Amino acid sequence: MTTEYDLSPEDFADTAKAVVNACAEAGTTADRIALLADAGLTGILAGDSCGGMGLPVDFAVPVLHAAGAGMLAAPLLETMLLARAFSGTQDDLATAIAIGHTKVTIAWNGELDGAAGTVDRAPLAEDCDAVLVFRRDGSAILVTLGAGAEVMAEDTLDLERPEARVVITAAEGPELSAETVTELQRIAQILRSALILGAAEDSLERACEYAQDRRQFGKTLVSYQAIQHHLARQCLAVETIRNSIARSLSPHCEMPVDAARATFIGATGLGAKTAETAIQIFGGMGYTWDVPLHRHLRFVRTLAAQGKAAELLDSVAQQLLSGDNIKKELQRAS
Amino acid sequence: MTQTAAVASERPSLETAGDTARAWLDANLPQGLREDILQEREPTFAELSEWESKLHKAGIIGATWPTQYGGGDLGLRAHLDISREIGRTPMPESVNSIGKELAGPIILAVGNERQKAEYLPAILEMRNIWCQGFSEPNAGSDLAGLRTKAEKTDDGWVINGQKIWTSGASKSSHCLLLARTGSVEDRHRGLVLFAVDTSLPGVDIREIKSIDGARHFCEVFFNDVVVPEADMLGSPDQGWAAATRVLSIERATNRMHRAWRFENQLQHLVSACAENPATRRLVEHDYARPLAEVAVNIELLKGHVETLVGSLIDGNEIGPRGSLPKMFWSEAHQDFSKLALDIVSRFPPDLSDPLRAVKRRMEDIYIKARAETIYAGTTEIQLGIIAKRILKLNWER
Ligand SMILES: Cc1cc2nc3c(=O)[nH]c(=O)nc-3n(C[C@H](O)[C@H](O)[C@H](O)COP(=O)(O)OP(=O)(O)OC[C@H]3O[C@@H](n4cnc5c(N)ncnc54)[C@H](O)[C@@H]3O)c2cc1C
Repeated sequence: MTTEYDLSPEDFADTAKAVVNACAEAGTTADRIALLADAGLTGILAGDSCGGMGLPVDFAVPVLHAAGAGMLAAPLLETMLLARAFSGTQDDLATAIAIGHTKVTIAWNGELDGAAGTVDRAPLAEDCDAVLVFRRDGSAILVTLGAGAEVMAEDTLDLERPEARVVITAAEGPELSAETVTELQRIAQILRSALILGAAEDSLERACEYAQDRRQFGKTLVSYQAIQHHLARQCLAVETIRNSIARSLSPHCEMPVDAARATFIGATGLGAKTAETAIQIFGGMGYTWDVPLHRHLRFVRTLAAQGKAAELLDSVAQQLLSGDNIKKELQRAS
Repeated sequence: MTQTAAVASERPSLETAGDTARAWLDANLPQGLREDILQEREPTFAELSEWESKLHKAGIIGATWPTQYGGGDLGLRAHLDISREIGRTPMPESVNSIGKELAGPIILAVGNERQKAEYLPAILEMRNIWCQGFSEPNAGSDLAGLRTKAEKTDDGWVINGQKIWTSGASKSSHCLLLARTGSVEDRHRGLVLFAVDTSLPGVDIREIKSIDGARHFCEVFFNDVVVPEADMLGSPDQGWAAATRVLSIERATNRMHRAWRFENQLQHLVSACAENPATRRLVEHDYARPLAEVAVNIELLKGHVETLVGSLIDGNEIGPRGSLPKMFWSEAHQDFSKLALDIVSRFPPDLSDPLRAVKRRMEDIYIKARAETIYAGTTEIQLGIIAKRILKLNWER
């Protein structure tokens, strides 16, 4: 891909993989954020006046792909999004986020109506300094965790980025406008799809490797067509997610907002199916705690809930049945 | 300016080849050819043929072919833009798609100058209609097992054998024939492609009735048919390479419009149901989510098509990746066809014409969709290609 920048998105893939591997050895979330920040990955989308690189969203895709594949235990998605969202309006804050000084997350579920309330689905909130909370009017506020905002551990499906609940009694802090929040949510749809792509591709690679190694009935598993076809279907699933992400970010995409939403909805179903199939191919071994396929599955399902895949599907239905698609078509035509 | 705004401003201007195509199609598609209104009768072959030659005159067909052969010399991006508009317009499928999308590109790739000059403009002007003679009774999925024999003599090549499932053969003037010079044991070696004039003595075409009631695909017998040397396409050893190329085009870029036609079918179903309180309720209460899933699949399919086009523009070959859009489309479209049939089969009696039209269209789509996972390589064969050539899995035989 040619861009007006000296770099291409693919240039980040190897660095991201190496840093994610290093993160696996690091002891705490703070250590991992420091490693990511040192490599410049947290600030890829932040403005260049805010310790970032000011790059377009495509550049974050290979980084989050590596994070998904490598089961990164850090709120990298949230950090990237908030460093970008505060750039331009609150540069000091954006800088502190981009360089890893302020560790942030987002409570993806729930809205505040006033200064107090409870929100949840905030990955790794226990290890963060502040959490972004959405408000009923569409705007959002970055609340410092502590006295007025208490983090409560929650039952969590995701093991790498355990979710927490946040009980807020006094919401104060820097704000994001409704417009910025809409944009943040849209970018999050694409970047979450990149995380899912990484998790799905790693599941598929592990399943392919296992099937070519494990022998039953005197032959490797992959010698059986049923197994080949399982793997091929998951390859189609992975390539479907990859191509849809690429399309959503292409300057030639006619309706990028619809495309991003469909990419995310599609990725959640296809990504989960790929991890589930990989577990099936591993047999009893796939059901063990130590084989990390369940981690990918848990992660994908959690991302689906954080990104509200089910509600988004309802919004597609609403748009379709209201005739808005047809109206949009006509508008495009005129 | 935000970064997304910057991206948005890079989007193509409104004056694209697609816009021109859309305006022309909107103004010129005859009522009798619309698939979204109730028709008294099926259009005739002559009407369809005339429509397609008009499409060519309007620059909508043949956009990427060189101007010297009647094309528009445009790039693949323009072809995609035009294909979107073709898809969005509820018009009949081409009766010469084999000529335009398979034979033409292969002649451009391996044909000589005389063959290009003779065949290409004739395809666009609908003077020549082509069919594809690959499959045989004993060589379907295992195409390399084909037996139709081509023997070289002083008078030219003598062809003997039988093809089957040859779409449109009884209406065609030419057949893109794959035959072999040696024996079946040679498998992929010794295969050769010909442009065979179907009016030659010894060519015998018999129609086969298919499950949709049509008599479109055929058996084609070749009994001592003498094909001039000049009608061989490429060299005798290029046959398999050329055939594989035909197949990857068939799977990937052929009927590039299908994602948008699929969308048009979905929107037709939804908008027709919205007209009547009972059908509107039916769709809203019982089918909202499944229909939304179809809409999502259509976007995902566009992702396959548009990135494949981008990759071709960057100079990459289609290769085995052609199996991805083919598989995704055929299965997603079949799923839609089942859902659509389910919906229209619950329509109340006393239907208005728009509802009768959509019912008829969806029933037809359902039956025809059965073929989509069979032709151009069955689903099982696509899965094998993906396993072996994309995943590069190794297995013992
Ligand atoms: C509507 C329609 C139009 C067509 N038009 C043309 C045309 O114009 N020109 C042309 O040349 N051909 C045409 N075909 C033929 C088409 O390409 C073949 O039907 C197709 O390749 C399958 O071959 P077959 O019918 O011999 O089935 P077979 O190869 O006998 O397959 C039967 C079943 O067995 C499965 N199978 C076969 N091999 C394997 C394997 N190794 N592993 C697992 N499963 C396997 C298949 O998937 C299928 O389900 C058309 C077919 C249809 C339905």
